[in-house]
Amino acid sequence: MKIKTLTLAAVVSVAMVGAAEARDQIRIVGSSTVFPFSTAVAEQFGKSTNFSTPVVESTGTGGGMKLFCAGIGEDHPDVTNASRRMKKSEFESCTKNGIDITEVKVGFDGIVLANSKSGADLDLSLEQLFVALAKEVPQDGKLVANPYTNWSQIDPSLPNLKIEVLGPPPTSGTRDAFIEIAMEGGCKTLAGAKDLELSGKACHAIREDGVFVEAGENDNLIVQKLEANPDAFGIFGFSFLDQNSDKVKGASIAGTAPEFEAIAAGEYPVSRSLFFYVKQQHVGVIPGIKEFVTAFTSDSAWGPDGYLVDKGLIPLPDADRAAMAKQAQGLQSLSM
Amino acid sequence: MNSLILVAVLLLLSAIGYQFGRKRALAGTGGEIRGLHSLPGYYGAYVALWCALPALLVIAIWLSAQGGIVDSLLIAGLPASAQTLSTGELSLLLSDIRNLASGDITSRTPSPMVLAAAERYNDLRSTGFAAMVVVGLALGMAGFFFGWRAINPEFRARPRVERIVHWALIVASAIAILTTIGIVMSLLFESIRFFSRVSPVEFLFGLNWSPQTALRAEQVGSTGAFGAVPIFAGTFLITIIAMLVAVPVGLFSAIYMAEYASPRFRAIIKPILEILAGIPTVVYGFFAALTIAPFFRGFGESIGLDVASESALAAGVVMGIMIIPFVSSLSDDVINAVPQSLRDGSFAMGATHSETIRQVIIPAALPGIVGSVLLATSRAIGETMIVVMAAGLASNLTANPLEAVTTVTVQIVTLLVGDQEFDSSKTLAAFALGLVLFVITLCLNVIALSVVRKYREKYD
Amino acid sequence: MTDIPANDATNDAEARTRTREAALIRKRYRAERRFRMYGLAAILAALGMLTVLLVSIVSAGLPAFTTTQIALDLNFDAGDIDPGGSRDPAKLASANYRGALLKSLRAEFPGSETRQGRRDALNMISNNVPFVMRDMVLADPFIIGTTQRVWVKSSADIDQLAKGSIDRTLPESDRRVDNRQLAWFEKLEREERIRTVFNSTFFTTADSREPEQAGILGAVIGSALTLIITLLLSFPVGVMAAVYLEEFAPKNRWTDLIEVNINNLAAVPSIVFGLLGLAVFLNFFGLPRSAPVVGGMVLALMTLPTIIIASRAALKAVPPSIREAALGMGASRLQTVTHHVLPLAMPGILTGTIIGMAQALGETAPLLMIGMVAFIVDVPGGFTDPATVLPVQIFLWADAPERAFVERTSAAIMVLLTFLIMMNLFAVLLRKKFERRW
Repeated sequence: MKIKTLTLAAVVSVAMVGAAEARDQIRIVGSSTVFPFSTAVAEQFGKSTNFSTPVVESTGTGGGMKLFCAGIGEDHPDVTNASRRMKKSEFESCTKNGIDITEVKVGFDGIVLANSKSGADLDLSLEQLFVALAKEVPQDGKLVANPYTNWSQIDPSLPNLKIEVLGPPPTSGTRDAFIEIAMEGGCKTLAGAKDLELSGKACHAIREDGVFVEAGENDNLIVQKLEANPDAFGIFGFSFLDQNSDKVKGASIAGTAPEFEAIAAGEYPVSRSLFFYVKQQHVGVIPGIKEFVTAFTSDSAWGPDGYLVDKGLIPLPDADRAAMAKQAQGLQSLSM
Repeated sequence: MNSLILVAVLLLLSAIGYQFGRKRALAGTGGEIRGLHSLPGYYGAYVALWCALPALLVIAIWLSAQGGIVDSLLIAGLPASAQTLSTGELSLLLSDIRNLASGDITSRTPSPMVLAAAERYNDLRSTGFAAMVVVGLALGMAGFFFGWRAINPEFRARPRVERIVHWALIVASAIAILTTIGIVMSLLFESIRFFSRVSPVEFLFGLNWSPQTALRAEQVGSTGAFGAVPIFAGTFLITIIAMLVAVPVGLFSAIYMAEYASPRFRAIIKPILEILAGIPTVVYGFFAALTIAPFFRGFGESIGLDVASESALAAGVVMGIMIIPFVSSLSDDVINAVPQSLRDGSFAMGATHSETIRQVIIPAALPGIVGSVLLATSRAIGETMIVVMAAGLASNLTANPLEAVTTVTVQIVTLLVGDQEFDSSKTLAAFALGLVLFVITLCLNVIALSVVRKYREKYD
Repeated sequence: MTDIPANDATNDAEARTRTREAALIRKRYRAERRFRMYGLAAILAALGMLTVLLVSIVSAGLPAFTTTQIALDLNFDAGDIDPGGSRDPAKLASANYRGALLKSLRAEFPGSETRQGRRDALNMISNNVPFVMRDMVLADPFIIGTTQRVWVKSSADIDQLAKGSIDRTLPESDRRVDNRQLAWFEKLEREERIRTVFNSTFFTTADSREPEQAGILGAVIGSALTLIITLLLSFPVGVMAAVYLEEFAPKNRWTDLIEVNINNLAAVPSIVFGLLGLAVFLNFFGLPRSAPVVGGMVLALMTLPTIIIASRAALKAVPPSIREAALGMGASRLQTVTHHVLPLAMPGILTGTIIGMAQALGETAPLLMIGMVAFIVDVPGGFTDPATVLPVQIFLWADAPERAFVERTSAAIMVLLTFLIMMNLFAVLLRKKFERRW
């Protein structure tokens, strides 16, 4: 018992002392969507330079922003990843703590609607997608609770299958982007929507009668659930479709199949931008931040032939990429 | 020299104190243990405690207070222009100074004032540390001599040492209270902010849970509904299913292991069953989502039942499997501890083994069994990863185990690690859920305690 | 005549009683056997579930313990590696090994001159080959200018192909490996330049984004460091608290409060302990993020109730006669507890501790809040280095898009289970040594 108490005291004091040690590796927090790309760059960066490999945490965009904007100093992260743009309120909380930020847009992530290889092929317009998943749809000039249970009820050309879609929960950036691009896109152009002044709220509400199954953020799990249930569809990131092309296939949206070239060219309608944000005050203090940003924004990483493409990133168009690289490497300040 | 070395030196000093105390006590009676009031080790421990405890206590207090004192000294030493700054600006300035002092990170190019302050800050810190070392060592030495001098053969060392140990035991049990206070504190503030946005009445009695508020301010979101009843109902549904699996299997396993099985069989089977508790919950999650859930779904379809692919049944059954060892191992220990005389008495009356178990052993072991079941229930309520993967996320107020439900822990996890901004109602709702769950389980435990009290018997 | 029937009746009644008794006894024995069967069935059911789980894990995880290698003729081209011929280590360290590798690949794989072909060729092998070349050159600069046949790691996709996880008969668009790569692979196979070896990388490195380079050493060390802290904190504190509550505490409102409190803590969702750790250890005490010391403290708070409850049950089970005897011999209450009660209760206490530790070993959720769900390439060297733990590694790999991580996830689970079984074995030995029945 005595020895244990002694060890205990020693351990606790090690902890106290350790906290005061200087940090020599970059710390990155933020979105789980950008995590696979950020970690790939971090690993290459650690291998090919003399800097230590950055530590990348997956905290979710919101959690990452909170940590990032909490202050300046070794206890706070240097970079945060985001699957959406920084919000004004977040920017203000950063500014309040004296933080200057550089914003870097990394590329795109396609959001796909996919089902098992053995299931039916699907080619949906945005309107059909909206009608299938919205909480309320216009019918005979009125807004009614979504009555559709089969795809073929929406349009006879669609397969006679129960509508069952596994998708991310309301806290997810993927869901947010899906709603904004796919649902709102379909809602705006839907016949009869104008007369009902259907916009905003009604466009964003997803049905809650069990047809849309909130299946969590683990996209691998969704892929495997789809494989087990050929009638179900799932909503997830393009990289999971790419890796599992022998198990699942993507449904075409508005006539475009979710393929690399189509998303990169902006033809596939449902894609969103990915970002990371750099704390300028830490540049030159925590070693390697500038070099890390340079490594991330080099063509061998995020270019069309770069290794991030193999990880599922859809690169920015050439001109945007060059401009963004210049802006990032020059550490231009973000203003809102 | 850092605080670690200081602590090590003090511990060394107290080890030396132990030897000295022992020797002095024995020397007082010429090496005769019989002449001492207490065993020699108690005299050693007395000196060691005097040597280490006061000094370590002072060092701990010093370390926790030093930051605040240094800060106020630093602010007092700043020029008048800086003193009139607002709290926020002042704290920014302070963090600048501190960062500059420790590692050259600043939010802007440092002004001469900041540079001077940083230097002063380092000065203050090193002076403070030196003072702490001196005080700590002096106290250690003083304690050493005080304890050492007090020792003579008649000195009542044991009661004194035991009193200190007694207090140490009390402190150890108070840690549980401190943890509770810590949890309530870390949940309370965020919960209050949440309840200022959503009325507690709606939260506690609302039947509709749908946190579909917008992620971005510029986006018009659908209104979120924060009625927590369906998720608590879901939690209890899944917990009940889990207990329906775990209690019979666990209890019968325990009875068989303790009463029928050969010691060899028991020695092998018990640890094997305990593996079930140690398999990471992530694995159970996968198992539930990919093996059990499709199985139930397919089985349900074949007999004409509509089973959801994320049914409460699948998550509950798998969770039940996980907590079997909590029931089986702990109950087995308790049953095993029932005195053999009770069994012998029952056998002598002509009872069969199973009658003995049912009518004598189980009642005798009941408090312990109830305790193990309570522990298992607690694990089931607090379990996170299985339900995150296998139970749905959409709320559903139902008692039908074939439908998908969601649980409190699932909601807490998804709300906390989501992409929404951190002070949105959604994230704050996670804290409120945690708090309410805490209160509910507290009530359940109070009830359970009084029930156990009532039926508790002591045998020998 | 008259007493015979009476006699008969008595005999009859006796016989009836006897048959009734016999039937009753038979019934009781049947009940006895049934009861016994229930117990055995329960154990078999639990074992069956365990077997199903283990078989599914092992069958998925076994392939991860082997890895595929390709024999490549690597051309250490002097023009790329050391154009000046200076043999300066600093320059050699940062030379253009990728260029030299591409030249070698062009010679190895016909058709890799085009842009797509080059990508295909590069995707045959692991992307750490340039670093392997660098290390070879730094170890022996004289190989510059020569061509060496080296066994290099294949890429994860080729590894999957070699293990048969990729179906070669599928149409090209559905395969992770295209026709050109398949043709190259089959040619290499014919030349016996493909081999399957034990995957030592898996045990000697930390996490990586490339499945073929990913290992669990970092997570194992992280788990060990975290559990050491957890055990050091929760075992003494838990046992001390249990001893106080069971042996010393007066039965009053205050101890009732503590008791309810402890039971309640066991039901607090583990992620809430993460929130507590975030608020207290990180924000208040300013301890570093992602550090095993913080993880250990959080897990210690989490396992404390389990240990206290189990220890109290074990202490409760020690018969009062033991205490009375010791007290009667003049021992103090503390001596009674430390010398007699505690040793007798130790098996139960250890059971509780092992269950608590196992739970801590497999816990993910609370670590989410204190930054241990992170990608960390360096193996942690101390209690304050950033680290991750085994279940978190499993959680991260389970979420990774690359297919080859699926088998690594299962393999990591197998490693975790091995540790768990070792812990249990240890507990069994301890229990055997101490257990007694009265």
